[in-house]
Amino acid sequence: MDAAAPKPGENQGEPLPRIDARLKVTGQAHYPADLPTANIAYGALSTSSIARGRVTKLRLDDARAVPGLLDIVTYGDMDKVEKPKFGNSGATSIGPLHDRTIFHDGQIIALAVAETFEAAEEAAQLIRAEYEEEKPTASFDSPGAKTVDAAGKNPMHKEDVKAGNFDAAYAAAPVRIDARYSTPTQHHNPIELFSTTAFWQGDQLIVHEPTQNVTGWKVELARQLKIDPANVRILSPFIGGAFGSKGPMTPRTAIVAVAAKRLGRPVRCVTSRMQAFGTQTYRAETRHRIRIGAGRDGRITAFAHEGWEVTSRADAYVVAGTSATGRMYDYGSVLTHVSLVEADRNTPGYMRSPPETPYVYALENAMDEMAVTLGMDPVEFRRINEPKVEPIGKKPFSSRSLIQCYDQAADAFGWAKRDPKVGAMRDGDWLVGMGCATAIYPTAAAPCAARVRLTSDGDVRVQCGSHEIGTGVRTVAGQMASERLGVPIDKVNVEMGDSSLPPAPVSGGSISTASVCSAVLKACDAIRTKLSVGATAEGRPLAGSHNEELDFADGKIVAKGGASAKIEDVFKIMQVGAIDEYAEFAPKGATPGALKKLYAGQPEFHGGDHDEDSVKYAFGAEFVEVRINRYTREIRVPRIVGAFAAGRIMNTRTARSQLMGGMIWGIGQALQEATEVDGRYARYVNRDLQDYLVPVNADIRDLQVILVPEVDHAVNPAGVKGLGELGNVGTAAAVASAVYHATGNRIRDLPIRIDQLIA
Amino acid sequence: MLKNPASSATGLSRRSFMTGTVSAAAAAPLLASAAKAEEAAAVHSRLREAVAVSLRINGQPYALSLDTRTSLLDALRDHVGLTGTKKGCDHGQCGACTVLVDGKRVLSCLSFAVMNQGSEVTTVEGLASSDGKLHPMQQAFIDHDAFQCGYCTPGQIMSAIGCINEGHANSEDDIREFMSGNICRCAAYPNIVAAIVQARDQTRGT
Ligand code: FES
Ligand code: FES
Repeated sequence: MDAAAPKPGENQGEPLPRIDARLKVTGQAHYPADLPTANIAYGALSTSSIARGRVTKLRLDDARAVPGLLDIVTYGDMDKVEKPKFGNSGATSIGPLHDRTIFHDGQIIALAVAETFEAAEEAAQLIRAEYEEEKPTASFDSPGAKTVDAAGKNPMHKEDVKAGNFDAAYAAAPVRIDARYSTPTQHHNPIELFSTTAFWQGDQLIVHEPTQNVTGWKVELARQLKIDPANVRILSPFIGGAFGSKGPMTPRTAIVAVAAKRLGRPVRCVTSRMQAFGTQTYRAETRHRIRIGAGRDGRITAFAHEGWEVTSRADAYVVAGTSATGRMYDYGSVLTHVSLVEADRNTPGYMRSPPETPYVYALENAMDEMAVTLGMDPVEFRRINEPKVEPIGKKPFSSRSLIQCYDQAADAFGWAKRDPKVGAMRDGDWLVGMGCATAIYPTAAAPCAARVRLTSDGDVRVQCGSHEIGTGVRTVAGQMASERLGVPIDKVNVEMGDSSLPPAPVSGGSISTASVCSAVLKACDAIRTKLSVGATAEGRPLAGSHNEELDFADGKIVAKGGASAKIEDVFKIMQVGAIDEYAEFAPKGATPGALKKLYAGQPEFHGGDHDEDSVKYAFGAEFVEVRINRYTREIRVPRIVGAFAAGRIMNTRTARSQLMGGMIWGIGQALQEATEVDGRYARYVNRDLQDYLVPVNADIRDLQVILVPEVDHAVNPAGVKGLGELGNVGTAAAVASAVYHATGNRIRDLPIRIDQLIA
Repeated sequence: MLKNPASSATGLSRRSFMTGTVSAAAAAPLLASAAKAEEAAAVHSRLREAVAVSLRINGQPYALSLDTRTSLLDALRDHVGLTGTKKGCDHGQCGACTVLVDGKRVLSCLSFAVMNQGSEVTTVEGLASSDGKLHPMQQAFIDHDAFQCGYCTPGQIMSAIGCINEGHANSEDDIREFMSGNICRCAAYPNIVAAIVQARDQTRGT
């Protein structure tokens, strides 16, 4: 079987091709900026060239003189609109056109709208601003940087986790390490550009914009525009990659909606790649200090993780990955602390495994350092510290297959052939290094609604306001319906990405498959119940059978003894043409108002470390080989193996692809990705894909994903743990560990580049 | 204090470069004298005039009236309505806009539509046969799950066809190298390579 379609193991679904694959290879998948709209006008943004101060004057004359210019939306024009709110649906509280204060470089100062794209761009470039400029604070260590405790500043981080007496345990530990790590600013850079297309039909506002959260945006946009959410429709049928960047709505959306209202015609604004760096969110730079104390037997007795994260002055964005790192191993004692450092920057936001990527990088690099200090094999070191319960709340893990992941990945990788001596492995001019690290991601789910219709012809329509960002959620939702209703997948149609569909939570936090499939499952089971009752009633073909004993397969309802009835016939007997079921799923622990909150665009997340009975995480182990040229120090990654256990796998093909993409992200984070911040101007320097390096085809060679079977009924009815964000956790630490093994250089600051290896 | 200009979309973009609207400092070496500046202003206004451009796109003739500054990419997307070709950067750094012009792969964002007068342009919409049968490259992309979000995919597919035509798909290493101008942020790279190998072998075999 071909590598893209792994043979399903226990509790794993068929590797069906994506149900939207044909649309995607023929150019018929319509992303929001592709949706045809008549009489469209084009918008282009003008953004600030300072990071802190005030706009004292805008000169618009030259811009207004551009033939074809229709309008300029700027200060004063948003006064009747509410300012954005920072939170789940809103990227920032900064309303760039609400007042003339400049909070960060690249802040929107105007939107020029014209008959053509060319005229709009020309006009935007001719807008001149005069500023009262203040010296901005760029990042850590910049003059004016303000450091505050993170706990309590944001609902995402209520308190710093701890357990036992770290100070005493650390002081008493015979082996100790104390090291500092850092990760850089990173931008998501999905290949689809950010865009908003807005138009009004009477009171109705229609917005085409790539988003991971149609329901949340509908409500937030309506709030800003002071209109009824029922009058707002957000459409995002296909999304060209998101990785968190399209989760919260940015201020541009309302600005374009206002422009469309003023002009009385549709306005489309596609943000340039360069402007996206300042007008969208990003992963902020982080710093870490880790202390580990252990006995000579390798048992950890003390673990402390301190983190520092940059945020904007306007909003306390926090990731606080200490809640995961603090629960990773059997530490004995735990001390954590997270600080925020406020700077004159745009507000950061979720980027693929927001807390885990930086924090687990630091932890796993430290774990490798400790293993070296102890003279112990790094896999063995982790095995010794495998916990029975998590150390903070002493709760069990709903399932934890980390050691199986290590064993299977190590085996496939050939870890046993590694010579542990630093610098011992060579191949001609190449120094060979091998390293490994743990991946972890919390398993959560949120309330979700779905509607499923089965017709007597066996056609199925699934409707759910979730989002196909490339994860394959449209496919697995269809697959769930196909399996439960016993119809072939090509009879299933799945509608998503529209705020007029039954609401789904934001497609973030790796919750979509679990939440959506649980809702679809519920709707399908309601259809099954109706059909079962119809088939088993007195005088019907399956009379006498019990509903629970019936199976739906190949267009038939099959009873335990083997008797069966065609679903088509049961419809006829029942005198019914279609069965339509609307279902709402609420995860365990949901509050009484949880579903109401879903409709209001405020989905509750449950699972992870929030539940009473157990903590819920997916795990993985990644092994990397690096080759470093002995003369040039060029770093290559010829081989990477990852083994992951994430409960039920709905579709081994889409699961493998997501994990593969994650691992490649991890390689990029290890070796390439960094947004450079100019400390003088608090400005991003490398604002394009030529200078913001991401992996390209030639950077990736042999990559293997192993899907370790795991059954976990505690997580959610679908038994699914999310895996979209699991793959890129730990990778960078595995690369750092391999680089150390090859060269003896311990690199603690990402990305690892040639200059750090030329000593 | 006067700061010019406010940051524009692409900094010194091809449009401002062409039209001479860059800030004075940047423009100085280009416009050495006042006379030249006037000349530039005249050119400037002419550049905004629509010109007639005829193209053959996927075998169909098109007569378009376009701003001279319109890229081939925007002509396809905004004027012809073929939105299969994608914009990922608008300045030649991502490959999402790749089309074939007279059989060769071209970044349509880096080519003005007027420069392609009379050319034969093939986009992703022009690959499947009229009975709906997919091009072997399209089928191979499906078979190997060579995409996730699908946004880079039209560019990858067009580039892959160009890559084989050029004779740059002889080994997996060659494919990786000569496909490295097409970024896939979802990172489907190993699957893209597998798909190209399959399509190469099929098209060679027939
Ligand atoms: S859009 Fe043309 S290369 Fe990116
Ligand atoms: S499939 Fe998403 S960018 Fe390639």
